[in-house]
Amino acid sequence: MIDKKKVLLAPLDPVHDIGLKMIKRGLENKGHETILIPPDYSPEEIIKSIIDNDVDIVLVSRTLGYGVAEVLGKFIDLAEASGIRDKVKIGIGGMAVRPELAAELGFDAGFGPGTSVDEAVAFVEGREYVPAENRSKKNKKDITEGYDYLFHNKKIEKLLDSIVDGILDYVSDKTTTAIQRAQIRRQILESNSESEKQKLRRDYSKLCDDVIKSFYESGKYREKTRPMTNDEVDALNQYVDAVNSRMNPLYLQHVDKNPVVFIQYGTGCPFMDIAHIKSCEAWGADGAVHFDPSWGARTEGFLEGYITHEEDGSVITYENLKSIKKSLLPNTLWQVRAHRGLNTPETVLLAGKIGADLTKINIAYGSLGGGTDPERLTVDAVEAIKYAAEFNMPFDVVTNEELCGVPAYKAFAGMLIVSKLGLRLGAKPILQPLFCYSPEVMISGQMEDNYVDFNAAKIYCLRNIVNAPIWCGAPIGFLTQTEDRVQSSLMTSLQASLASSLGVDGISIASSDEAFSGGPITIPARIDTLRATQSSFRFFGQSNIVPTDNAHKWAKEIEEGIEAVLELVLKNGNFVNALYQGILGSKEDGAYPGRAGRDSVMKKIY
Amino acid sequence: MSDVLEKIMDAIDIETYIVSKNEDEAEKFAMELMEKLGFKDISIVFIQHRGPGARVRARGYIYKPGDRYGWLFN
Repeated sequence: MIDKKKVLLAPLDPVHDIGLKMIKRGLENKGHETILIPPDYSPEEIIKSIIDNDVDIVLVSRTLGYGVAEVLGKFIDLAEASGIRDKVKIGIGGMAVRPELAAELGFDAGFGPGTSVDEAVAFVEGREYVPAENRSKKNKKDITEGYDYLFHNKKIEKLLDSIVDGILDYVSDKTTTAIQRAQIRRQILESNSESEKQKLRRDYSKLCDDVIKSFYESGKYREKTRPMTNDEVDALNQYVDAVNSRMNPLYLQHVDKNPVVFIQYGTGCPFMDIAHIKSCEAWGADGAVHFDPSWGARTEGFLEGYITHEEDGSVITYENLKSIKKSLLPNTLWQVRAHRGLNTPETVLLAGKIGADLTKINIAYGSLGGGTDPERLTVDAVEAIKYAAEFNMPFDVVTNEELCGVPAYKAFAGMLIVSKLGLRLGAKPILQPLFCYSPEVMISGQMEDNYVDFNAAKIYCLRNIVNAPIWCGAPIGFLTQTEDRVQSSLMTSLQASLASSLGVDGISIASSDEAFSGGPITIPARIDTLRATQSSFRFFGQSNIVPTDNAHKWAKEIEEGIEAVLELVLKNGNFVNALYQGILGSKEDGAYPGRAGRDSVMKKIY
Repeated sequence: MSDVLEKIMDAIDIETYIVSKNEDEAEKFAMELMEKLGFKDISIVFIQHRGPGARVRARGYIYKPGDRYGWLFN
């Protein structure tokens, strides 16, 4: 049973008393008696009110920062001189107050900006403040939950099924060294015999490029990479343990419909990556996306061990990924990308073995905008999708070829083909349209008035076609941000709220360094956009951004464009040839079939 | 490097407004400022000059990926 208290609420401020009014309501709901005096009382008048009303506790607020230390100092001196200090507990709070200042001046408590009503009530009741359980524990969200992948556009579904039949037939008698390496890697990971592992490593290295082969044969590291030292690894483990013990992550979401928010990391150093991830988790990020180096995508084979790298993108090794996974909070979603390059099956295998939640696969983007040969990536991706299905890892189908200049309808046709392929192979695809200022709209003018309508059109179009999860990326706002961190954060946060308004499931956000190319992204820049997104979600709540009629008109046009492209792919008779011929994005658009891995596909030997 | 700088995760940004005739002059002043403050690895992240002066964000990297980070060991 809590003693009922008599509390004086005193704004030591010319005008501001909103916080005290909120606390008054909270105290009265708990049965305490309150007296709220008006603003602009002098310290002497407040002291007199305390004495006249014989209160147990006083809560003083101060919003104006000018002269705060002098005013509060005078107040506490008067309280001492009047003899009430021993009988009455006095707390101060408000925008101008910091707990350190309160302690320094001799107040019993100090409540700074962001203090909750519950904290003030806990002080009055003389108990420790414990945050509500449901807000202090974050849950990991499955963004595919509740989607049945039912196609509303049956014509498109039929076209996709026929194209997928063709892909599966095409790859049925083909293999690659990437597929073989993934099989060997699996044996290495599952073997208990060191001698067998050594033999398997020798077999593995024979299937690699020279730079990787020399690592396995002579321990030589690729230039600009180096192994982490043992003391660095030990220090990292201690750092992560210490940080995790004091983590109390913020929430970005204000209402249930706000999407989960991913950040993208890939500083080059797994330790710096982990440091960035931990800070982003603390500031509310729900997920993190692993970026590997671009050279890794053009190299056959993976290194082993804890390896750091001096350029963007963090090297994929079992140990690097494992250390990152180990550092994550249990609720953090983790994605390892396998959307382009010469190691996609092994990437998904490693991600699955280590416990990643998500991966990223798109043959069309990877081969038209990601530099990988279309045939090679098609054969590899089918195997990668099989691993994604086996390890129950949903994969997003990214459409960043739009940034090369490929129109949305062509990029979406490729995305839907790979999504249908994923469904056929038992995996769970996630559609990933871009929220960007793409070359297509720069040329055609759909964003001359606003950044809303064309992005909304993309979501409307996809919703018209299929009931599937949507994760906007990657990152949202591409080419709308500048090097100014305020403008950049604002653009990101507005696009986040547009995504929320359109009911999507996830978004990837950039840092406010997105448009800065002069050096690595810093952690304050990451916190900028997380805070901006949180504020934007708070601002809009359940309300919506209303696109103009253009959004529905353009959604229809995109859908018709997708149908036309799929018909052309089918008429062409072969998805791989369609990629080479530019049906899903041409050289005129700005898409070039990748060259990495060209002519490397082999016939299976039975 | 002093101990407190070892606690900086990656970089220090200085945001200010420099009274200047044009962007080139503002950039020169910003670089001078950062050098005077003792930064070695300096970038101008953002600069915009209008009329009386320039809004500037200058950055001094303390650690870059792959370095041996003081905050990891202390």
